[in-house]
Amino acid sequence: MSEALVTMTGITKQFGGVVACRDVDFTIRAGEVHALLGENGAGKSTLMNVLSGVVTDHDGEITVAGTPVRFHRPADAQAAGIATIHQELDLVPGLSVAENLVLGREPRTRLRLLDRRAMLRTAREQLRQLGVDLDPRRPVGALRVGEQQLVEIARALSLDARVLVMDEPTAALADAEVRRLFATIEELRRRGVGIVYISHRMEEIEAIADRATVLRNGGVAGTVDPRTAGPGEIISLMVGRSVETLFGSANAKTGAPLLEVDDLTVRPRHRRPGRCEPAGATLTVRAGEIVGLAGLMGAGRTELLETLFGAGAKGRRSGSVRLDGVAYAPAAPRQALRRGVGFVPEDRRGSALVLGHATGRSIVLTALHRLTTAGIVRRRRERAAVAGKIAELAIKTPSANVPVGALSGGNQQKVVFARQLLAGPRLLLLDEPTRGVDIGAKAEIYRLLHRLADDGMGILLASSELPEPLGVCDRIVVLRAGRTVADLPAATTDAAGILAAAMGQHSRPTRESA
Amino acid sequence: MTIDEQTPAAGTVGLKASAACWLRRPRSRRELIDRLFAVQSLFALAVVFAVAIAASPTRNGENLFLSTGNLGNIVRAVSEIGIIAVGMTFVVLLGGIDLSVGAILGLSAVGTATLMVDSGLGILPSVLAVLAIGAAFGALQGYATARLGIQSFIVTLAGLQVARGLARIWSGGLGIPIAYGDGPKEAPPAFEILNGSFNGVVPVPAVLFLAIGVAAIVVLRTTAFARHVYAIGGNEKAARLSGVPVTRVKVAVFAIAGLLAAVAGVVHAGQLNQGSPNDGAGYELDAIAAVVIGGTALSGGSGSMGGTLAGALLLGILNNILALNNIDANVQLLIKGLVIVAAAALQKLHRTVA
Repeated sequence: MSEALVTMTGITKQFGGVVACRDVDFTIRAGEVHALLGENGAGKSTLMNVLSGVVTDHDGEITVAGTPVRFHRPADAQAAGIATIHQELDLVPGLSVAENLVLGREPRTRLRLLDRRAMLRTAREQLRQLGVDLDPRRPVGALRVGEQQLVEIARALSLDARVLVMDEPTAALADAEVRRLFATIEELRRRGVGIVYISHRMEEIEAIADRATVLRNGGVAGTVDPRTAGPGEIISLMVGRSVETLFGSANAKTGAPLLEVDDLTVRPRHRRPGRCEPAGATLTVRAGEIVGLAGLMGAGRTELLETLFGAGAKGRRSGSVRLDGVAYAPAAPRQALRRGVGFVPEDRRGSALVLGHATGRSIVLTALHRLTTAGIVRRRRERAAVAGKIAELAIKTPSANVPVGALSGGNQQKVVFARQLLAGPRLLLLDEPTRGVDIGAKAEIYRLLHRLADDGMGILLASSELPEPLGVCDRIVVLRAGRTVADLPAATTDAAGILAAAMGQHSRPTRESA
Repeated sequence: MTIDEQTPAAGTVGLKASAACWLRRPRSRRELIDRLFAVQSLFALAVVFAVAIAASPTRNGENLFLSTGNLGNIVRAVSEIGIIAVGMTFVVLLGGIDLSVGAILGLSAVGTATLMVDSGLGILPSVLAVLAIGAAFGALQGYATARLGIQSFIVTLAGLQVARGLARIWSGGLGIPIAYGDGPKEAPPAFEILNGSFNGVVPVPAVLFLAIGVAAIVVLRTTAFARHVYAIGGNEKAARLSGVPVTRVKVAVFAIAGLLAAVAGVVHAGQLNQGSPNDGAGYELDAIAAVVIGGTALSGGSGSMGGTLAGALLLGILNNILALNNIDANVQLLIKGLVIVAAAALQKLHRTVA
């Protein structure tokens, strides 16, 4: 076995009365990918914050290359060769790739001016070593998320990082970018860099991790070899019990057509790059039915949902959309809400929540008009409504006054659901509703969807994780370049069938996946 | 930054302590500090007040700062900026800024004087017309930022020029004196009430300021409109997707700011017995200072009206005690600048600690 780059022993950290980490041992060896798993709140972030010098008042010991160290600030950890690639990347979007790579250590000419040539040379060299083909003169803001991530990795390596912590690196990546990232990780491994890989995606762990350590309630639940352990064992380590029915059972009773979309096409007034507006979308959602919306990245799932919620691109539209048999063309989210349509957007923090605002206030925002008399919010009715939803969805929060940002990802998502449900929708549009949500909360959300469908709600669920629509939905509509290319019953379809439809029969997979 | 883990400390961000929590003994020093900061602007106000008493010159054993006349002067001097700052608070909570309020004050002062003296209108029609102009001007600015998507800084910077220009054209570039009487070219004497005091103690403008401030506190605490303002300021996209009528709320908020600037303009004309097109220059910056000292975040979505009222009073007391001690006017500016930075630094410090 190769040498241990970093050894953490007996790490314990409490926040107030809450134990975030309890006597955790964790090692990172040279050239290994060590997956760190656990539900939100299991202690992953705290452990990594200890490792990166953000949390300093902990018990236990850290040794780097055999020498005991004590980090007092993040810079100490960096100096010891530990770098963290955050979900929100720390790059300056207006500067070029090269300028970002040398930020703070810019090469100077004899006149103390910026030495552009040396800067570009260094940047090219760093990217080449990593096997990344990127023009260092391009502004970072114009790069795709995956490319930005590679720049961030290159920068970490240029600071002599021996240990890289990657926090859900694939959360925002398209498939092609994920492959590219994995190739880069392979290269890092060859060079003896130790990688801590945090992810909720089981198939990725199986694909690239050498070891997987599972945390539960702040302690180590076990360390396994993910290639032999299988997802079942890992999941039961995470939740402390076996999860047989993650997705719940499909339901049979469906009612009258609720939403009928026929050949919907939007020609936007302003074409925006990277967006794929509906171009011949056709689908039906019946009352009590959960319909999946599948397709490759950029196939137009989000754009279709936004259009159906009145939040899409403005422009000329053709085709017909009917809700309850009545023409439906919302020009703004307010109109959609009034017609009984709810929407859970993909980007929870950017499009749904104000993290600093109280949980209760976040829950009532959409249904506020129903808790109001003459413009005045009725506090008692508000409190009752909030308490009802917190109980119904089992939102874990000390009180309704706690800021949403202090809740775990899964509970934040439940707050978004609670807000929609309080408005009493008949049709719910969901865009990646379980992204960044731990597996326990995932199961709860799936149960909720089935219960809502049983109560006669229609649900349209867009997802990029194929097992999700396959497990949860009754039917799956596949989009390709904004057009409906297949409408498949979930019971008789598998991932291969969906992918074949999503990529087109005359498979030219690379074009759409870009 | 990830907030995934259970970090109780994050629970204190921008949280207002509830009443029940105040009745309990603080569990830790950390909690005590949090509570102090929850009312930090009141706390700062109390400190400045105490310092002012201590630093006040005395005459015949009487503390000049605490004399009835002086306290009256303070609240009278504060009232115009204070009224404007109330409107500014709404705008800043929304995540915007309104640079035009000082110019609207000037336009309104001119309007009040012109309508009453030159046009011979009564008090009520004159004042109503001026308030309508202020509100409409603000609403127009709100509509421009909401529908054209231009930052409010730019829209109101332009609005500042336009309002100032209108005021100059309307007044012919000169101050219009207000003489009181029943004759032509004279204003109704009742308008002089703005120069008076209740019981000869409490100045009328101060009462107006207080009433507007209390009304604004109530609005911010109880209405759905206020929730919408906070939501837009916190995350406009999320607010829109949640069904908040973003355009309507923005128009309303800027209309409120314009209306209150016009109120301040009427008060200004009444106190100075004239309307000059240059009145109110720079008032927008004092109002922003009051909002900032009051703890409202310029990024929008968090802050309180009570803080702004305290901030305005704090600035007034500061001005007063510096003047009482005959501190050079230029040095006064310097000290005011330092106080604003100190207030902002204090808030930053608290957020970092939390």
